[in-house]
Amino acid sequence: MPELRRYGRIWAALAHNSLRTQLSTVMASGGYLIGKLIRISFFMAYLLAIFDHLPSLKGYTVHQMVLFFMTFNLVDVAAQFLFRGLYGVKYLIEEGDFDKILTQPAHALFRISSMGVDFLDLFTLVPVGFITFWALSKIPGEISLVAGLLYVLLVANAMLIAYACHVFIGALSVRTHEFESAIWVYRDIMTLGRFPVTIYSDLLRGLFVTVIPVGVMVTFPAQALMGMLTWKGIVYALGLSVVLHLGAQAFWRNSLRNYTSISS
Amino acid sequence: MRKYLTLFMLSWQKQLEVRSDFIFERGRSMAVLLSLFYLWSALLTNRTDVAGYSRDQMLTYVLMMTLLRAWVLSNITDRIPAEISQGKLSELLLRPISHQGYWATQDAASKMLAIGSAVIELSLFMLIVRPPLLGPPSVAGAFMFALSILLAMVMYFQMSYMLGGLGFWTAQSWGPRFCFEVLLEFSAGAYFPIDILPAAAQKVIGWLPFPYLIFHPLSIYLGKAGPETWASIIGHQVMWIAVFVLLSRKLWGVGLRRYAAEGG
Repeated sequence: MPELRRYGRIWAALAHNSLRTQLSTVMASGGYLIGKLIRISFFMAYLLAIFDHLPSLKGYTVHQMVLFFMTFNLVDVAAQFLFRGLYGVKYLIEEGDFDKILTQPAHALFRISSMGVDFLDLFTLVPVGFITFWALSKIPGEISLVAGLLYVLLVANAMLIAYACHVFIGALSVRTHEFESAIWVYRDIMTLGRFPVTIYSDLLRGLFVTVIPVGVMVTFPAQALMGMLTWKGIVYALGLSVVLHLGAQAFWRNSLRNYTSISS
Repeated sequence: MRKYLTLFMLSWQKQLEVRSDFIFERGRSMAVLLSLFYLWSALLTNRTDVAGYSRDQMLTYVLMMTLLRAWVLSNITDRIPAEISQGKLSELLLRPISHQGYWATQDAASKMLAIGSAVIELSLFMLIVRPPLLGPPSVAGAFMFALSILLAMVMYFQMSYMLGGLGFWTAQSWGPRFCFEVLLEFSAGAYFPIDILPAAAQKVIGWLPFPYLIFHPLSIYLGKAGPETWASIIGHQVMWIAVFVLLSRKLWGVGLRRYAAEGG
């Protein structure tokens, strides 16, 4: 318990630093925030405009599609809020700061991921929350308590998968001192989850629930909330996140063993 | 001319310096193509048309849009503000080369790489998925499409170069720029054709220069903009280029007088 409190204090201190940095660059932070809100608004506008011309998409109504889109935003934004620090592993290595972090009395992964806590993303969650409740109110039928709890569980599970992906990419940077763009590839692949994975071809759908688990991260929680996901799917999602998490941790440790300092 | 050619070659080599990053960077564009292609494929499964677009027209729009994103919207002038705020501009001003020419040459090298990669990516996609791809309506239409693309590239460069000048006033211009890019992408038709939106939204977007970057050139290509509208489209593009050239000169003139070479 004291160890948990210590890590809590470390996170709070690093988050405080991030907040102060963002507050000291009001114009940059403001533009970034407004840009994100514009992106969500435009996507919503286009989605609603498309469904003006069509009754449904593969059996999903417009409000169900909005729910998928909002779940994507929730997972994507929450991952950025918590793990953004891992975007900069290559930079830390080049500047020699990585070596300093390795010598500090805190888990390196925790220390790095907490370095870039992005409070701007918290603001974008406000409209995401409102739109989610609006979409839910329009979907016919009651949402059960169990479905709600499963949604929370599977979103948390998605966060664990997102963390594993971030760790894997960070480890790749440690190992090669390259792959700066890999995190942006991850972000772009995540955008494929804006729509339910059922719209994709069989091959892609297969990939999106196994190797590139964007479907497990975004489509599964929304389907669980609407009572469309089987128990098998839920167990599979939980099992996959454990496997990916253990794999990413092992790869990180292995990369650290092979790490050679280049800048300190 | 030789110095620009040398700069072009150097810029080309520099971008291929870290090849893994280049490949990852290119892989990112596939995410947009895959998500939108399969979205529209699913939407048009049991329909022949939507919002005035036939199935083949809409899928061609998505494929061609991927190419135009690489041709028109790829740019590296977003590095200009950092160049100004770090004082690196001083060194460039002393060189026997025009500053705008310096960036135009680098931008051309970046575009050439992006164009080549986009053609390869799209060819692979077409080979695997075999989507429909319509050709231009006539030889004259193909010529007008090529001309409008060329003008769109010049227009985007001028717009982007002008925005780079914001670096004279603030080191935080990346925030407003991010906001601008998001607005631009949606209003340019780089995700969805603008004419699926309600008439009021189309009217507002129509006043902006952005639709002349992707939407209008593609309307020519798809034959949705008939020969009677070609002069208007090209005329508007020329007008917007003139506006941005003038604004850019004004902004850079004032900016250079303010420039204090901090850090240089």
